Formats: sequence, C-alpha cells, structure tokens
Amino acid sequence: MKTVALTVNGSVAAAAVEPRTHLADFLRETQNLTGTHLGCEHGVCGACTLLIDGVPARSCITFAAMCEGAEITTIEGLDHDEIATELRAAFTREHGLQCGYCTPGMIVSARDVVLRLEDPSEHDIRVAMSGNLCRCTGYVGIVRAIQGVIADRRGRGIRAIPDGGRQVLGPAGSGHAAATVSPAAGPARAAASAKATPRQAAATATGAAHAGSGWKPQTTFNQSFTVAHPVDVVWDFFGRVGEVASCLPGASLAGEPVDGHVEGAIKVRVGPIAADFHGVADVTRDEATRSGTIIGSGKDSRSNSATRGAIGYTVKPGESPGRTRVDVTIGFTLTGMLAQFSRSGLVQDVANRLIGAFVQNLEARLAHQGDGAPAPAVAAEFDAGSLMASLFRDRIRRFFARLFGRA
Amino acid sequence: MKPVNFDYARPADVGAVLDLLKDDTRLVKLIAGGQSLGPMLNMRLVQPDLVVDLTSVTELKRIEERADEIVVGACITHADIEDGRVPDVTRGALPKVANGIAYRAVRNRGTIGGSLTHADPSADWVSMLSAVGARVTLRGPSGSRTLPVEDYMLGALEADLAPGEILVSVTIPRLSGQARWGYYKSCRKTGEFAHAIGAFVVDPERRISRAVFGATESRPVVVADARHLIGEVDRTAPARDFDAATADATLADGGMADALDRQMHVVALRRALEQAR
Repeated sequence: MKTVALTVNGSVAAAAVEPRTHLADFLRETQNLTGTHLGCEHGVCGACTLLIDGVPARSCITFAAMCEGAEITTIEGLDHDEIATELRAAFTREHGLQCGYCTPGMIVSARDVVLRLEDPSEHDIRVAMSGNLCRCTGYVGIVRAIQGVIADRRGRGIRAIPDGGRQVLGPAGSGHAAATVSPAAGPARAAASAKATPRQAAATATGAAHAGSGWKPQTTFNQSFTVAHPVDVVWDFFGRVGEVASCLPGASLAGEPVDGHVEGAIKVRVGPIAADFHGVADVTRDEATRSGTIIGSGKDSRSNSATRGAIGYTVKPGESPGRTRVDVTIGFTLTGMLAQFSRSGLVQDVANRLIGAFVQNLEARLAHQGDGAPAPAVAAEFDAGSLMASLFRDRIRRFFARLFGRA
Repeated sequence: MKPVNFDYARPADVGAVLDLLKDDTRLVKLIAGGQSLGPMLNMRLVQPDLVVDLTSVTELKRIEERADEIVVGACITHADIEDGRVPDVTRGALPKVANGIAYRAVRNRGTIGGSLTHADPSADWVSMLSAVGARVTLRGPSGSRTLPVEDYMLGALEADLAPGEILVSVTIPRLSGQARWGYYKSCRKTGEFAHAIGAFVVDPERRISRAVFGATESRPVVVADARHLIGEVDRTAPARDFDAATADATLADGGMADALDRQMHVVALRRALEQAR
C-alpha cells in the first residue's frame, strides 16, 4: 500500500492504495465517486473516460500512482462546466442516452470534441467519438446533440481550441510528483510460492495428458527435410526423447521417460508475456511404420494457462542410400489466460518462429550425429526476439535477392 | 480484470531506470503511457514483479530540433505530435498519422517510444516512422546505440532490446520541401487494430523513395528503394506508376501466404499513393 494524493474535482483526495489500483477504482472505491463507470476495463469501451490535467484519458488503464499530484475531473466535477451543461441539455433533447451506462464517458469525450473541433462534419464527429461505445441509442442522438452544441457555440462566436489548451509534453497526469525509487518491501508475490506450484501443476496435468487420445490441436505445422544419415541412426535419435526435446528452445525434461511417460517444462517469452509451462508427455513409437509421437500438456501457474502440444515424426529412406527423409508434424492448443490474447495472427507468428527453430535445431543435431562434434547449443528459453533475428535475416536476404536479382 | 499486485518505482533519470533493470531476479516491466501494457496487465497476460514508471524522467519528455532532424524523447505522446507541441519536420505526415491513432483519450497518454517497443505489427508508428526513415536510440549498461526503426522491431511484440536496455529517443529526419508522403490503414472499426497499412515517402531532393507494408502479422515489409514499385508519384495522378503485381510479389516474398491478405496490403499502399500529400 502506498498513499496516493491527487486533486479530484478541485479538492485534495488521498488514499492508501496498491500500485496496481487504476484511477477508476481509486475514485470509485476510495472517494465514492461512482459516476466514473467501468465497462470493458481494458481501454476499449470508453465508459471510464475522464479528464486528467484537463484532457480526456482512460481511467481503467491509467494507474492512480502514475497520476500522483495530477488534477482529475470526473463527471461529478462537470456539474457547472459550461460545455458539459450544454451537452446534458442536448443529450436530453436528442435522446442521447437510454440506460446511461456510457453517458459519463460520452459527455467527457463529447466535451473534448466540442472544445477542440472547429467545424466538424457528422463523419468527423463519429470518428472522434468512436472510442466510446453505446449499446442503446445507435449514436444518432449523441451525434445530433454534439452537432447542436457546436453549431450553437460557434454561432455565439466561441472558437475551438484544437490542442485543448495543453502546454506540456508527455502523458497526461505525469510529471507532478517527485520521483521515488521505492525499493519496496520485497516482491509482491513471494518467489517461494511461485516455485512451489510447478510440481502441483505437473500433477494436475498428468491426467490431462492421458485423456488426450481424441484431442486435435488447434494449429498444426508440417515440415519435411532430408539428413545425410541412415534411417536406423535417425530412428534411434528420435528414441532419445531428451535430445529431441532439447531441440525445442526453452524445453527441458525432468528425467528419462518411464513407461513412455516423462515430466518436463518449456519456457516461452514473447514481448512482455512470460510463461513457464510444466507438465508431462506421453511417448509412443511404432517400429513397423518407423513413426512416433510425443504428446505433452502443461500448465503455467503464473498465468493459469494450459497448453497441449504434439510432435509426430516419420523417418523413411531418402532418395539416395545413406540418406533419411524426416516428416515432422507439430501441433498445439493454448487455453486459459494467455489464450484470451485474441490476436491469433500474432500467436501464429510466434508459434511459427518457435517451430522453425525446432526444425533448424533438429536438422543441426542430426547433421552432427556420429561426426563426433559437440551438439550445437540451444537457447535455454524461447525468446521470440533473438530467434526472429536469425530466421528473419534469411527471409530478408531471400527477399532482396529476388527483388534485385542478386544474392 | 485487475492486474496482479506489483511493486512500483518512479525513477528520476535514465541511470536510475537502468539500475532497476539490473535486477534479473524479478520480472521488471517499463511503463510509459500504459495504453498497451495497461490492458495486458489488466488481463493478466503480463504479470510483473516491478513496474517502472518512466514518465518522471525529464530527459524522455524532451525534444531537440536540429537543422536536418528532430530528436523526440521516448515519452512524447501521440497527442503532443498531433497538436504540434512537437514541431513538425515531416510536412504534416506525423501529425496526420498521430491523429489517427486509437482515440483522443488514448493519444493523451500513449507514447511514441512505448508504441515502438510494444512492437505490435498493427501499430501506426512502426510503419510510418519506417517510411520516413526514423531511427531509435537505445541506452543500456554497455552504452548507447542507434538503429533504424524497422530494425528495432524483430517480430510481433518483440523489439530489439537487450537485457537492461531502454529506448530513450526517436530521431526523425526533416523532409525537404519537395517531399511527398501517404498513409492508409484499413480498420473494420475506427481506432481499432489495423488489418493492413500502406505508407510511402518520396523526397527527390534527398534521393529517397521508401514504401512500407504494415500491419502484417510480424514486422512491416519495408522497401528501402521503392522507385520500381511506386514510380514518380505524379502530382495529378500519384498512383499512376504503382505496380500492383510487384507489390504482390514483394509481399509473397516477405512471407505473406494468404492472397486476400496480400490484396488488402496492395490496396492499402495504392490508397496511400492516391492520397499523396
């Protein structure tokens, strides 16, 4: 807990809150200013829009501690504001609200449009208001209300102020309080508890791996390549699950498989997202078809997310003697918190990079089979960035080679 | 929709930020405006131990205008650029692009450095600043380095930031009086993540012709010498020389497999040309 002091609607408001407390919760929970509404709570719906240092901002994705010393104006503070008063009358006249949930945010954003845009078209107003969602009115009344207030004010000779009167640089609300580097009383979550969970997670995941016979991955990826080694050598390699796993960046096994069953972990890091999946894998091999599967499932206790993945492989004689063709199929499914990240294209980009690295490592390991050279090092953690650099360099080179007709 | 509990620090200068980043026993996240990180924290996609607030570092909110370029601090907001608090050296390109980022309430807090470091392929700055030929300056334990914006982004959500490093400023070259530019993004809803972006800058005086396909699922596809792709950018018919087949082949070479996706990006660049300023 940390005491945060702000000016709210002209008076000092201070309360002891956690650093994670966003501005809307600060106002609603500690100041009883419930006019600021929370809708989506991730900056999309606009219901929580209020004024920070006189300009509109989202209070659900602005932490109170970051606004220390700033001037906050909520809908309650706009009772006697000239533009807001005119807007309230216009919203009433034009049926600019029904349930009223979006209205506080609508009024704050509408006030900004009236203040800043000199002579907006209906389209301009709709674009400028597009960050505030209303599920009742269909927006027609809201837009008319704003048009009416603007026409009236310009008619009275009141000009727009395009920059809203802001003079200083940087995020609204910042720069008021002295810097504090609080060493803090230790990490918010004890490291010990985070370390204790994986074992538990592995235990829960055990059942899941078994129940997975009918499971189909959400995303699959196929790749074939040929290595200069006899089929038997390659087939044996795939039997050493630990070595196969080590080709997957960030993956590791807790020990050797027992009865086709092995415990392991994979660490993945994508931008600000870090996950550490612990779980189990079932290993099957079929001598007759020279094919096998490694099916694993794991949980990341921190994000409470789960993933299941399957690696299928078939080895067969290549086009010439002593060469082996390897067909690899990799599939995965992600559920839980991390799967909420509804940008499937981005997840796909990361998965492709991870799988690309796996195949590269696999080829490299196989190429080193029997030549006595040490196996190539593999990253201890999947870092999308560093991998990307190498994979992308190839792609870029190919691209420019094609473009300019030179290598 | 509440973040995990985290510690909070508000250092006064870049040196103090770098000191905080040295602690690799804790997951440390830097925050500027928090308009991308905030939602990810609320959804608990990101669960840091320590959040370091950069917005009290005055160096990061400074601007320095030089003869041929302007250096803007990482914590300069989209609204600062939109409103002209940052002098425009790009013949209106950056203010116009800033004006189209998300919504005004977001632009009042979201920052140029935060957007580039978050490295969302759909974001506006990585595409437009690549077209303009801007560079980022990073500072870390082993000193400072400068690299082109398009090289700073490695892939979706991944910036080329070494452990302990931060982005301190963005350097934007001054376009000459003859320079022309265009920017078009395709969104299903105003202000949401773009599905395709096309951008270009031609500046004959500085011998520059650059085109960018943005909002791919990874880094933008930057064509550093785009003369064969966009041609002269004629005053009356700016898209006259646009070679759609080459654009499509360029995207295919860049790894865009889906034909519909390529078509959207080809159209985005054509519209950017049609709207040349």
